[in-house]
Amino acid sequence: MQTTNDVTFGVTDPIFEIRNASVTFDMERGTSRVMDSVDMNIQRGEILGVVGESGSGKSMFASALLDAIPDPGQLSGEITFRPESGEEIELLQQSESEIKQIRWEEIAMVFQGAMSSFNPTMTIGDHFEETLDVHGYDVDDGMERGRDLLSELYLEPEQVLHSYPHELSGGMQQRALLAMSLLLDPEVLVMDEPTAALDLLMQRSIIELIRKIGQQRDLTIVFITHDLPLVANLADRLGVLYAFEFVEVGPANDVLTGSKHPYTRALLNSTPNLHTPREEMRPIEGKSPDPVSVPDGCTYHPRCPMSDDNCVAADPPFQAGSGATDHQAKCHYIDDVNEAVPLNLREVHNE
Amino acid sequence: MRYFVKRVGQSLLTIVSVVVFTFVMIRQMPGGPLAYIRAQVMQSRGADSIDMAELSKLSVDYMNYSVNDPIHVQLFNYTAQILQGDLGRSFNYGEPVGEIILKSAPWTIFLLTISIILTFAIGILLGAVMAYQEGERFDTAWTGVSMFLNSVPYFVAALLFVYVFAIQLSWFPASGNVASNLDSALTPQYVSSVLYHATLPIASLVLTGFGGIALGMRGNAIKEIGEEYIRVAHLRGVPGRRIAIRYVGRNAVLPLYTQFMISVGFMFGGSVILEQIFAYPGLGYYLLEGINARDYPLMMGIFIVITVAVVACILFADLTYGMIDPRVSDEASREAY
Ligand SMILES: Nc1ncnc2c1ncn2[C@@H]1O[C@H](COP(=O)(O)OP(=O)(O)OP(=O)(O)O)[C@@H](O)[C@H]1O
Ligand code: SF4
Ligand SMILES: [Mg+2]
Repeated sequence: MQTTNDVTFGVTDPIFEIRNASVTFDMERGTSRVMDSVDMNIQRGEILGVVGESGSGKSMFASALLDAIPDPGQLSGEITFRPESGEEIELLQQSESEIKQIRWEEIAMVFQGAMSSFNPTMTIGDHFEETLDVHGYDVDDGMERGRDLLSELYLEPEQVLHSYPHELSGGMQQRALLAMSLLLDPEVLVMDEPTAALDLLMQRSIIELIRKIGQQRDLTIVFITHDLPLVANLADRLGVLYAFEFVEVGPANDVLTGSKHPYTRALLNSTPNLHTPREEMRPIEGKSPDPVSVPDGCTYHPRCPMSDDNCVAADPPFQAGSGATDHQAKCHYIDDVNEAVPLNLREVHNE
Repeated sequence: MRYFVKRVGQSLLTIVSVVVFTFVMIRQMPGGPLAYIRAQVMQSRGADSIDMAELSKLSVDYMNYSVNDPIHVQLFNYTAQILQGDLGRSFNYGEPVGEIILKSAPWTIFLLTISIILTFAIGILLGAVMAYQEGERFDTAWTGVSMFLNSVPYFVAALLFVYVFAIQLSWFPASGNVASNLDSALTPQYVSSVLYHATLPIASLVLTGFGGIALGMRGNAIKEIGEEYIRVAHLRGVPGRRIAIRYVGRNAVLPLYTQFMISVGFMFGGSVILEQIFAYPGLGYYLLEGINARDYPLMMGIFIVITVAVVACILFADLTYGMIDPRVSDEASREAY
């Protein structure tokens, strides 16, 4: 078995390089480590899907990419952002005013719960103008671009801009928010469960729009969800979060059809068909770990059918096993996984 | 629009009911207005010669209706006169009630305007600061103080102030609205005398009122600060000051608007006792004078004016809230307020 400590994951032109990034909260019962020494590379122009169960740290990862961990959380480590032109930027070394410029101009974010992303006493248009204004953009030009974006997202620009948030449906608010996130023409768009509150049909159509817009604008998209079937059709690569760290990273198709980590396999096996709505998904057995005291060794060992003493004693590094090096997992026994936890997936649609 | 018509209709109905109710109630009182007029006539003319025509003329003059008419005609005439702005003539002062009201209402309005502005200005500012300092010493201390002050009735504060600052310490006058030796003109002496006389009444309303507003503002603002769109606004680069004013401040103040208009009405009612305590010649003072002297036209006139003012404030608040706060633009949700 070949052990690589290479965490570039085959990424050749990284727009983001994340090394040893941790997020901690000081709590009464101890330090809560809700992101645990995460390493990740994000390829320029790709759609990276990030999946994990609820509480696994997905939103923390998203916030970390904008250095926007909610107070009183502490973010440490290195996050290097390489814009298309210009110097590379150490995100965590920036002053408050510098980071304010990077956010939304270079890296924008669509949040979990679009419904509450707009101030209810301002029209959508007010939000657009305000965003352009505080970043010193020409408001007239910017609003022109905003109107184009809204049309591209199949919205009636004038009507939407004059509406208050509550006058729009959930799907319309979601698309208006998408338009606002692209208003300053960012290079990266981080989307944290952007479709969670929408019905299935609306989810699919938004996913299509995201794919289209991403291609047109050379956008790097980080798409976060607990809904594996949802990203399966969208993402170029997948990262699987378990217990506040990535446990498997690789090209979407490889991760879905030849998962190297037992957790990913359990996740896939709990989804009988990638088109099954998440309501019908069965959860994986066992409890997800507590961020104050994660298990020693491999964090998955209490739930892993393959775990042994070695797993309890030592935390496995990322490794590729005998397969391709751009597809890695944190497991001591990668090459045995296929036999021990066979995938019962019948069809995969990753077109 | 249907809502508008409905609300205006409701308000008019309230006012008419109050007029009818006072009309009936006063007639039912022992020694009602008729007895009063009769006694007056008897006093001036000697005991036996009660001329019905004379009585009728007097009652029309004072009360706006003739005692010789059937009751429904009386009520009709009375209401019709009121709608034309004729509130009758005061028994006690001999002047038309309308003139007494015109003379006294500005003083009440002056007191209430300053009190309400101060109450809300202090309450909103304090509440906002408390919300931003949630859980810190400043917040806990002022939450306690606000809760205490809010539970003190304004008239208790008024009595206490009169006793301590007017009677014991003689820092402020115990009665009146302006020093009696000054002519009413906009001279510095006159204005400062007016403010001097108004200090204690205003202080008793403001000190017992701002706590409630501060607590309301604090609660609203804390809820706003925790909203997702505040976080999004920060990430969009909106400066903190703008977020504090345009997002947190505005969204937290708007729901207080209804409370604002209602407290205008409430204070109108409160002015009756307050002005009595400070012998401050406003509307409320004359109302109580009227009641004590059984001056029926005066008491009814002022009562009706106060009722109309209260109902109008609430109606205005109701009808304009939807324009001010976009969150309540559809009629269904507005009904809840
Ligand atoms: N403000 C906070 N203080 C302390 N712990 C927090 C805070 N916010 C989140 N956490 C903890 O951090 C961990 C990761 O949270 P995160 O929100 O990233 O999960 P998630 O994967 O996005 O879950 P979900 O699918 O529910 O959104 C959770 O265990 C959560 O309890
Ligand atoms: S390291 Fe051990 S416990 Fe962890 S996933 Fe692999 S087999 Fe399971
Ligand atoms: Mg989340």
